[in-house]
Amino acid sequence: MIAKCGNFLLPRDVIIPRSSSGDDNIPLERGHAFMIIQTREISKRFGEIIALDGVNFEVEAGEVVVIIGPSGSGKSTLLRCLNGLEKTDSGEIIIDGIKLDKDKKSIHKVREELGMVFQEFNLFPHLSVLGNLCLAQETVRKRSKPDAEKISLELLKKVGLLEKKESFPNQLSGGQQQRVAIARALAMNPRIMLFDEPTSALDPEMIGEVLEVMKNLAKEGMTMLVVTHEIGFAREVAKRIIFMDQGKIIEEGRTEDILNSPQNPRTIAFLSKVLK
Amino acid sequence: MFLHQTFNWISFQLHILKNILIFLAPAIPMTIKLTLVAFALALLLGLLVGLARLSQNGLIKALSKIYVDVLRGIPLLVQIFFIYFGLGKVLNLDRFVAGVIAIAVCYSAYLAEIIRAGIQAIHKGQYQAALSLGMTPYQTMRYVILPQSLRIIVPPVANEFIASLKDSSLVSIIGLRELTRAGREYYSQYFVDFQTWLVVGIIYLIMTLSLSRLVAYLEKKYRVHGYGIPH
Repeated sequence: MIAKCGNFLLPRDVIIPRSSSGDDNIPLERGHAFMIIQTREISKRFGEIIALDGVNFEVEAGEVVVIIGPSGSGKSTLLRCLNGLEKTDSGEIIIDGIKLDKDKKSIHKVREELGMVFQEFNLFPHLSVLGNLCLAQETVRKRSKPDAEKISLELLKKVGLLEKKESFPNQLSGGQQQRVAIARALAMNPRIMLFDEPTSALDPEMIGEVLEVMKNLAKEGMTMLVVTHEIGFAREVAKRIIFMDQGKIIEEGRTEDILNSPQNPRTIAFLSKVLK
Repeated sequence: MFLHQTFNWISFQLHILKNILIFLAPAIPMTIKLTLVAFALALLLGLLVGLARLSQNGLIKALSKIYVDVLRGIPLLVQIFFIYFGLGKVLNLDRFVAGVIAIAVCYSAYLAEIIRAGIQAIHKGQYQAALSLGMTPYQTMRYVILPQSLRIIVPPVANEFIASLKDSSLVSIIGLRELTRAGREYYSQYFVDFQTWLVVGIIYLIMTLSLSRLVAYLEKKYRVHGYGIPH
């Protein structure tokens, strides 16, 4: 009786464990690998609204993980909690072995490991492209101006915007601004990159150029945690997908498993809308 | 005949105006000095109070709110009386110091609100970007927020500067010999009211108009890049 009803009888918040499909060599038991991001039962509320409700997950060094879910499901809040832009109400976050707690030093240390890219780019409008890349290198990393510029120019070359180094953000297209924002984050030599809906504010014709930069970054072995609605990107680059809804992780697993045979009814409903 | 009378009248009037101008001229530097010193002090106080208004510390925040509310809610003239006749008697302040303090304190309340608004107008994404790059709150304010706020607050601050120049005339009431006081002295000696106040008004007007020209020029010259029409 119960078996016939299938997944619809499962408690709403159970994370469905996946069995390995045999010949695939992606390790699902990741206990032995180095977990560069670990969270335990993190919760966060904004007044009456519960943004995160006991979130547990881990990311292995070098892994690309995509977080999907309907808006308001807590994806962005989760990213902001990881680098201390939002303070969690409870739970534990460990980034690269550093426990994030109330004292400012740990937040600072963690932020040095994490680069973040925002939906709205958030370039500094009063500084040139080069100025945007150099500012934190000089003030935080204490690099000399020539050193910072050298690193900046290399990164601008990498994102294909070397000729725009003297431009100001308002002279660039959305896609160009986002590529500058990625370069700015990379200039700090982060070990992990967080992407908060990096293509959601872009015109369709500019999404490709930003995703291209991100794909190259993934190929180089950067650990990436990406909140996005770009299922195509997830399919191509992500090793794992995490599906969130109402502040909880509803389902997680290997990309192809989640996309091809989601188990939870909410995942199924969401994907059927996104993949349409 | 008529033409001749008119000519005489005009030359007589010009003579009076010239006399008034000669009488008033020595008082002009005092008006300028009073305004400049008081406004510089007001800017400094205003920045501190404006930042205090945004403080995370509840007590500092509450105190700065009271400061702004009280000083904004009492007429400058009353503040001048209070500082010169009230505090001045106790602390033995001279007229100039009392005038400077009154204007500085009063204007710092307005400037604090302008500076606070200028800082709050910056999108919170700017803080998040700076902090996520590892910058400290101080570095974020110094290198990211304030340079952008500056461009927003220059026009309203210039307005306050011009207003403070005009309000410096209120200090004449405690006997500091600035432009308006000199006007009153001239009037009480020669009883030409129309011409005296006409000249006083025109001198103020020339000062305020040159100031607004200067501000417009500075705004253009020190315009923050990256805003407005791409260049």
